[in-house]
Amino acid sequence: MRPETVLELAHVSASKGDHMRVENLSLTVQRGEAVAFVGSNASGKSLALKLCAGLETPASGTVRVLGVDPSQASDEAVLNLRQRLGVVFDKPALISNMTVFNNVALPLRYHLAPPEDEVQDRVMARLAECGVEDVRDQFPVDLTLGDARLVAIARARVMDPDLLFIDELLIGLDADDLVRIRGLLAGPWREQGLTVVITLNAPTTLFGSMDRLVLLRDGRLVAACPPEEAARVKDPMVPDFFAS
Amino acid sequence: MIAWAGRKAVEGVAYAADVLYLTYLAFKELFSPTRRGRGDPFRVITRQILFTGVDALPVVGAIALIIGLIIILQAGTTLPKVGAGALLAKIIVLTVVRELGPLITAFILVWRSGTAMCTELGNMRVGQEIAALEAMGISLIRFLITPRLVGAIVAMICLTVYFDLMAIVGGFLLAKVNLNIPTAAYLGEIGKSLSIADILITVIKSVLFGVTIAVLCCHHGLSVVAATTEVPQQTTRAMLNTVTVCLVLDLIVSASFYL
Repeated sequence: MRPETVLELAHVSASKGDHMRVENLSLTVQRGEAVAFVGSNASGKSLALKLCAGLETPASGTVRVLGVDPSQASDEAVLNLRQRLGVVFDKPALISNMTVFNNVALPLRYHLAPPEDEVQDRVMARLAECGVEDVRDQFPVDLTLGDARLVAIARARVMDPDLLFIDELLIGLDADDLVRIRGLLAGPWREQGLTVVITLNAPTTLFGSMDRLVLLRDGRLVAACPPEEAARVKDPMVPDFFAS
Repeated sequence: MIAWAGRKAVEGVAYAADVLYLTYLAFKELFSPTRRGRGDPFRVITRQILFTGVDALPVVGAIALIIGLIIILQAGTTLPKVGAGALLAKIIVLTVVRELGPLITAFILVWRSGTAMCTELGNMRVGQEIAALEAMGISLIRFLITPRLVGAIVAMICLTVYFDLMAIVGGFLLAKVNLNIPTAAYLGEIGKSLSIADILITVIKSVLFGVTIAVLCCHHGLSVVAATTEVPQQTTRAMLNTVTVCLVLDLIVSASFYL
């Protein structure tokens, strides 16, 4: 099957606040790939992820997500694009006065308004996929950080997006959760052709589940390579990062 | 000094423009033909009316009774002494229905619901809930602002009518201990004094105050950028600005009916 480019960054530069910046970043991601932006804190990973998701506008360069440049597209085109992207922030960002079930059902009800039995099926399938179906009637305040982040992943998946973006995947997740995510990356998500873009700020066993690691230092691209080659990249960040 | 004044003037104009634009978007959304996302905002409207309107009944009722009692006692004892006892009903209608009803109800709503709206949206911004809604393609106007606008307007109109009734009828019944005015005569005079203009003014003010409370408090809530310390700062600003704007609008509406 011919590879299909779903994400393309060409010479993208952007900055946010005093510490977040990305300089001249170019990258293409094919459908079904699992890519991780890797680097220490303030290396520009989160900003790069938000640029990829069309949530930040680049100061220069172009971003094309599923063939759409979010900074140039009409409101309607951006709205349609949003329904094809799932985004999970470093905080769970669940709506605090809604139950877990209603949080996950929110985008479904808002955009598609299917019959309630279909909402029930799709929401429970996503909660079960992330292993948090038992907390369906709880409110976000009652959840552990790990469960809240898994619910956020379930919410990002409920619209069956083409691309899933997860910022700082490791935050809050315990060993069991990581095993589950590794299983999803290797199994159902890959089989469904889901493109996954995540950020990681520390070495993890999840590296092995990624197709490519994009190493960033001070907002600049150091290398984009398969995980097994990452530790051999010649750059000052690599020995310190992988030794940690 | 001139530079400071100029800067403040520019900030003031920009603030007014932002608020008016938000008001425009919220009303535009109300009449939008699209059916996308109608279910959840309807639930938010219901919750908003319940919290802003129904839950506020005891405090509005209590304050209305006290205000009504004070006015009726003062006017009911003083006016007959100067031979103006016949004006009692007219004065009560003017002060309660035209002025104090909508204004005090608005103040209660600002303190109770306006601060809640501002704090809730500010905390949603800090907790990245707003960013998550935007990322999901959920319109902040449709999901957050318009439901609060509708809830505040409906609650404001209903609570003002409730305030007027409690102040005029309840206040009189309490004041009757000290006054020698027959109830039927009092209510008859109130009915005669109440004109269409009085009702129109109270409804216009209620709608304007409801819009002001919802839009300004939501605007300040959404103005929080990232830190939790900004939430109380924006809430204080929202309260002050909303009360000021309500007073100015009250003056404009009242003056326009006399000029």
